[in-house]
Amino acid sequence: MVILRAENLSKSYQMGEIEVKALQDTSFEIEEGKFIVILGASGSGKSTLLNIIGGMDQPTSGKVFLRDEEITAYNEKELTEYRRNKIGFIFQFYNIMSNLTAEENVELATEISEDPLPVGEILEAVGLGERKDHFPSQLSGGEQQRVSIARAVAKNPEILLCDEPTGALDFETGIKILSLLRKVNREMGKTVIVITHNADIAYMADRIIKMRDGGIIEDKINDNPIDVEDIKW
Amino acid sequence: MVMHKKKHRLPKIDIMLIRMIGNSKGQFIAVMIIITMGVAIFTSLNMASVNMDNTVDVYYKQNNFADLFIQTVAAPKQKIKQLQDIKGVDQAMGRITIDVPMITENQNERVNLRLITTTGDEEELSRSTILEGKPVLDSESEALLIEQFAEARGIKTGDEIHVQIRGTQYALNVAGIVANPEYIYLVESNQSILPDEKTFGVCYVTEEFGQQAAGLTGSYNEVLISYEANADEEALIDDVEKALDLYGVKQTIKREDQLSNAIINQELVQLNSMAGTIPILFLLVAALILMMMLSRMVKKDKIKIGVLKSIGYRNRQVLFHYVKYSLTTGVIGGAAGAILGMVIAGGITRLYLTYFHIPLLRIEFYYSYLFIAIILSTAFCIISGLIGARGVLRVTPADAIRTETPKSGKRILIEKIPFFWKRLSFSSKMINKNIFRNKKRTLFVMAGVSLTYAMMLFSTSMPGVMDQMMNEHFREFQRMDYNIGFINPVHFSTVRDMEHLVDVDYIEGKLEYPFELTNGSKKKAVNIIGLSRDTKFYSFIDGKGNEMNIPKQGMLITENMAKALDVEKGDLIQVNNYIPDREDIIIQIKGVIRQSLGMNAYMDIDTMGKLLLEKNVINGVYMDSKDPDINDKLIRAANIATIMSIADMRNVYEQYMTMMMVSIGVMVVFSGALGFSIVYNTTIVSLSEREMEFSSLRVLGFSKRKIFLLILRENNILMILGIIFGIPLGFLMSEYSSVAFSTDIYSLDMTPSKQALVYAGIYTAVFVLLAQLVTYRKIQRLDFLQALKTRES
Repeated sequence: MVILRAENLSKSYQMGEIEVKALQDTSFEIEEGKFIVILGASGSGKSTLLNIIGGMDQPTSGKVFLRDEEITAYNEKELTEYRRNKIGFIFQFYNIMSNLTAEENVELATEISEDPLPVGEILEAVGLGERKDHFPSQLSGGEQQRVSIARAVAKNPEILLCDEPTGALDFETGIKILSLLRKVNREMGKTVIVITHNADIAYMADRIIKMRDGGIIEDKINDNPIDVEDIKW
Repeated sequence: MVMHKKKHRLPKIDIMLIRMIGNSKGQFIAVMIIITMGVAIFTSLNMASVNMDNTVDVYYKQNNFADLFIQTVAAPKQKIKQLQDIKGVDQAMGRITIDVPMITENQNERVNLRLITTTGDEEELSRSTILEGKPVLDSESEALLIEQFAEARGIKTGDEIHVQIRGTQYALNVAGIVANPEYIYLVESNQSILPDEKTFGVCYVTEEFGQQAAGLTGSYNEVLISYEANADEEALIDDVEKALDLYGVKQTIKREDQLSNAIINQELVQLNSMAGTIPILFLLVAALILMMMLSRMVKKDKIKIGVLKSIGYRNRQVLFHYVKYSLTTGVIGGAAGAILGMVIAGGITRLYLTYFHIPLLRIEFYYSYLFIAIILSTAFCIISGLIGARGVLRVTPADAIRTETPKSGKRILIEKIPFFWKRLSFSSKMINKNIFRNKKRTLFVMAGVSLTYAMMLFSTSMPGVMDQMMNEHFREFQRMDYNIGFINPVHFSTVRDMEHLVDVDYIEGKLEYPFELTNGSKKKAVNIIGLSRDTKFYSFIDGKGNEMNIPKQGMLITENMAKALDVEKGDLIQVNNYIPDREDIIIQIKGVIRQSLGMNAYMDIDTMGKLLLEKNVINGVYMDSKDPDINDKLIRAANIATIMSIADMRNVYEQYMTMMMVSIGVMVVFSGALGFSIVYNTTIVSLSEREMEFSSLRVLGFSKRKIFLLILRENNILMILGIIFGIPLGFLMSEYSSVAFSTDIYSLDMTPSKQALVYAGIYTAVFVLLAQLVTYRKIQRLDFLQALKTRES
């Protein structure tokens, strides 16, 4: 079943005196419950795409549908509702609140969402059961990213959007984070979209979308996604 | 289950706020202190003002304080009784008032006592409150003494006092100590603006004694009247004056002009205007600081705001998150200020009552003021919060992802002057760039320092101004050693007799009588002083500093009087003469003179006698004398009413000055706190903004001390500029306050002296440097390397 559909998305913006075309007439569909990797170098348009899917930015033209709802037609208030209940973000630099504990960071998100999951269970699931009362400064980078994942997952969103989730982590920690994302995808049935420039990560995905110069250059189904543990970079 | 648990806890976004406040305690407290001070001043001054108003009101009502006071030559008892038939008059009564010298053990002391007759009747107008002793005078030799005087001189019930009346000495038994609504503020005349409770007192005696002493039988020289509700005062006065015309109306004084009452009202008006302006100033400064703090905070928290929005927080929620910061300062500061204000209010009221003797005190808490104060501070804080944090609305959720491009560096103005720029060291270049780039911050700090300086200047000017006022009045304007008043007017030749009586270096006769001067509907009762035209005791100058002489015809009036009557040089005014058989006359104003204390008119003594009184009379003398026994000799002489030495007056002022210094000290502390808070906050904010920059400098090898010196130099430049701009601002404030604080009784010229300018500068610098030292501690604790590790500072 298609959960997300993009139709002829284009996005351009002014940067000084030049017009930058970040996205050009891009269309695709995403199936529910899949693990998707969007691959591309910086400037390929993948972040712009993520912003639009995530309801954080509007395309210059084109439409995005979540199931049957056209999110590109939403006003600001509806977009906020959408981000609140349908999307979970995971950022490269974790972006968790420095003066809240791990648990409080997760609660910051669940407090405003309609149908949150039990915070304690989620923290256990991401492996932070013991460290839930620690502040970010007392946590390692990997642990902070786990908090970020817990925060995104606990809202019980339809889609998890991950922007270079391993970009700031060392290899081993990165692998652990990826396997956690995989676990969320498999065990909880969440659709996960990972945006990265790291081609090796793509091997674990159900589907790989490659981007360059604001457009999709390759879109393929990976019939045999490898185990996270076998990824190397 | 989770839902259930959630309900009992604070939302996490508020926990964030609380921890944020905890992490920037210094700043938070610095802003809060300003709000607390502003609100404390607001509630305390307003409450003190209402309390004083009420206390005075109740006192006046309880003691039947008269509405009108008429001084006559001699009004018969029967005639006064008939006044009650005049429309609007509720009660009318007569009494005898005479000023006499009191005899004390110290012969060099001049003490004047005002004897006022009393019936002891419950219904009596301006009735005294008995504080001690018995309420009714049983015999002619008994008297009641006013509390301030009795206290100052250590006179107790049962003591005996001696007065000299028309050359005869009388002994009076102090039967009780009283307070009276006419002498809440115990001053002798409008020439003495400060009370000297040791040398002027009021003594209430029986009618029999008073009539005998004044040589009046069956008549009175003062009439007191109270009004019915809704009486038409002007019409009533006209009727009463007409009715008493035959008996020589000397002066009619409305309650509003009654000296003690007028002084109290002026004091209360000043208290009120202070209560309205100073707190607003504080709240404005606090609001500005909050605005700046929040706008910087929002800039710094761009990613945090983006994340909150991407998680699904609404614009309104995020905006309010920041507004809550300022709201918290407003509510806590407001509440603390209100409580502090209540405590101070009682103190201020009590302080006022040490000046104003009222035998009752109404300290009530007006919770409405607490309410208003908290609403006011909260409103200020919410508005400043909304303005300061409005940048939140511009942050998009995508900002959580976007990496910040470095701020575009621009060349500043002086860089375009290579000759100058090339000669600057690296640090100097950085300092200059910072000052010029952060224009808003630069302006804010400068404005803060300017304001601080201007307030300091106001405080430091005060003693000089008072001192100058004294000098101007007692050394330059009038220079006699003694001012002696007679009970009855005498022939001019009496001056010769005085020379026989005491060792006189120089003596001049004078005429001093109260008259009412009118210009159209404007009226003012003042003393007209008649002097010989070649007087050596006065020097008159006009507003431009030109010397003036007493004209043969016409009169000179003081600046405050010209203002009160709205007249100028060359205009004609009417002098209303209430002395029997004397016509009202029209006189031309020949000049407007400067006089810092009192309101008067001056004429040639011969002309004045001829036009207004009798030819060749005087009712007092001015003289210079080094006679050590002058007081003793004069007291024994008949017909001497008052002996005022200029030296005594000056001493009183000196005492007043020490009081003044205390309130100036308070002002200095308040303005210092303002400057401190502004500089401290801006430095802290700039510190956190520039953490990255400083971290880089640390890596380059700058020590913490060097970085501190960098900020110090930057702020010092701003401070110096702030002081420079503060000078004209201070002058402006002084000019304003010269007008605002001048009254009928004194005219202030608040122009600051050089010394005041320097002191204000020093005080400002001290407070600003103090703020910098506190920031030094912050720099010591800043983890510079940590700042470099994170993406965004």
